[in-house]
Amino acid sequence: MPSNPFIGDGLHVVEYFRGIWAARYFWWHLSMADLRSRWRRSFFGFFWSILQPLGLTLLLSFVFSNIFGTTIGAYAPYIFSGMITWEFVVSTIVGGALAFVQADAYIKQTRHPLAIYTLRNVLSGLTVFAAAGSALIIWILLMFPQNLSWSWIAVPTIFPILAMITWPWATLMAYIGTRFRDLPHALGLVLQAMWFVSPIYFEESVFRRGDLHLFLDYNPIYHLLEIIRAPLLRGEFPTVTNYVWCLGTALLLAILASLVGRRSERRVIFYL
Amino acid sequence: MKNAIHLRNVNLHYASTAFKERSLKTLLASLASGKVARQEVSDIHALKDITLEITEGERVGLLGHNGAGKSTFLKMVAGLYPVSSGVRQVNGVVRALFDLSLGFEPDATGRENILYRGLLLGLTPKFMREIEDEVVAFADLGEFIDYPIKTYSAGMQVRLAFAISTAVGGDILLLDEVVGAGDANFMIKAKERILELVNRAEILILASHDFSTLKSMCTRGIVFHHGSIAFDGNIAEAVDVYCRINGVAAA
Repeated sequence: MPSNPFIGDGLHVVEYFRGIWAARYFWWHLSMADLRSRWRRSFFGFFWSILQPLGLTLLLSFVFSNIFGTTIGAYAPYIFSGMITWEFVVSTIVGGALAFVQADAYIKQTRHPLAIYTLRNVLSGLTVFAAAGSALIIWILLMFPQNLSWSWIAVPTIFPILAMITWPWATLMAYIGTRFRDLPHALGLVLQAMWFVSPIYFEESVFRRGDLHLFLDYNPIYHLLEIIRAPLLRGEFPTVTNYVWCLGTALLLAILASLVGRRSERRVIFYL
Repeated sequence: MKNAIHLRNVNLHYASTAFKERSLKTLLASLASGKVARQEVSDIHALKDITLEITEGERVGLLGHNGAGKSTFLKMVAGLYPVSSGVRQVNGVVRALFDLSLGFEPDATGRENILYRGLLLGLTPKFMREIEDEVVAFADLGEFIDYPIKTYSAGMQVRLAFAISTAVGGDILLLDEVVGAGDANFMIKAKERILELVNRAEILILASHDFSTLKSMCTRGIVFHHGSIAFDGNIAEAVDVYCRINGVAAA
């Protein structure tokens, strides 16, 4: 018997996640279809997801290492790790803001929990991130084999953490973005500003020297990046503080998304 | 649990904000201009205080003028539209056939889209592989089934959509007009298939303007008039009431 995609009228959390689980074949298919269409009919296909950030990294690290007088070899993986993570966050959040609008044909036909349409962005984004991330790991193993240590077992924790932060965030943006179509544009600006005050391309020491500890210690993006940077670039475990910041951010976003969702989930269809 | 639909004092409003200020620009412009230029657009009261009960085995026809609330009613029963107030209780697997040709993936082949559509409807990949051949045979698109959907004509898309969507039934079947699809040959096949689905379903709700279809398929008729129920009872009487209210000569 086919499973029933129609959940009860109330938006109970358990019910909601049961609905997401019941639709698992569907959202899994959606994200795989996104990947296929992204890579369809291009010669490098899948490898563009690695080549593109890699090319930009080489360019940037050449420029920045001259400006800041650091050595290019050590600086490049730093930029690359920041770039691929940030690229994932931006594409998931900005794409997520339009997720419901894009899925209107599905939303008008069947009643699945709406969060599956942002989960789609998160999953396809994470796949691209994993591809680029494995290039980073190979790079470091070849150029900096001394970094390899037990701390690397912390690296895979980036995946659930990224998912837990971006999924509720993207869903929150999608609820608002469906109502106010200005949001995706404004979001681009906000994320640009966040990029500017975060150690994504700029090295930590640049901030510390400028007495801008605030932008590191109280910045979730810094703590998020530390989860892969500490082990891969320095051979150290990420600190408990790093994890607390990441999980705290995820929790805050989840609360916000469920508060907004409680009011908006069922009304989204009117705005499509 | 027995398949049934219980509705008690159900109201449904379309939020007027959905078509009023939708961007920041119009919001700011209306604030800046100062004068109260906006004429008051109020919420649309699409369903008014609907109370009814549909139990297992019933065949219900919905009548009403355009905009009377038939489609809104179906979408509300399907759970797509939230009720503003009142109680909506639906027991059973709902299968709704409306907006059929929405949601195809143009770059994927017809065969791939069969799988995708099935997953959208909440079916498993395993189940879809089992029924694939039957769907392909019914759509009868020849070698086009392995071509991308974007090469299909509109009629071919509807045929495929129809073949997939009607491959699985449900306890509660919701139809917005008996779906006419494709050329004359296909229409005959389609009609038979719909009847088969109708026979298998425990509850049928059909919205239509075609009196003969309504009389042949339904036993109970509900007449909607400006969002309220004007009549609920025998289908033949319902047709008469509909004609009287709307000033149509009875067919």
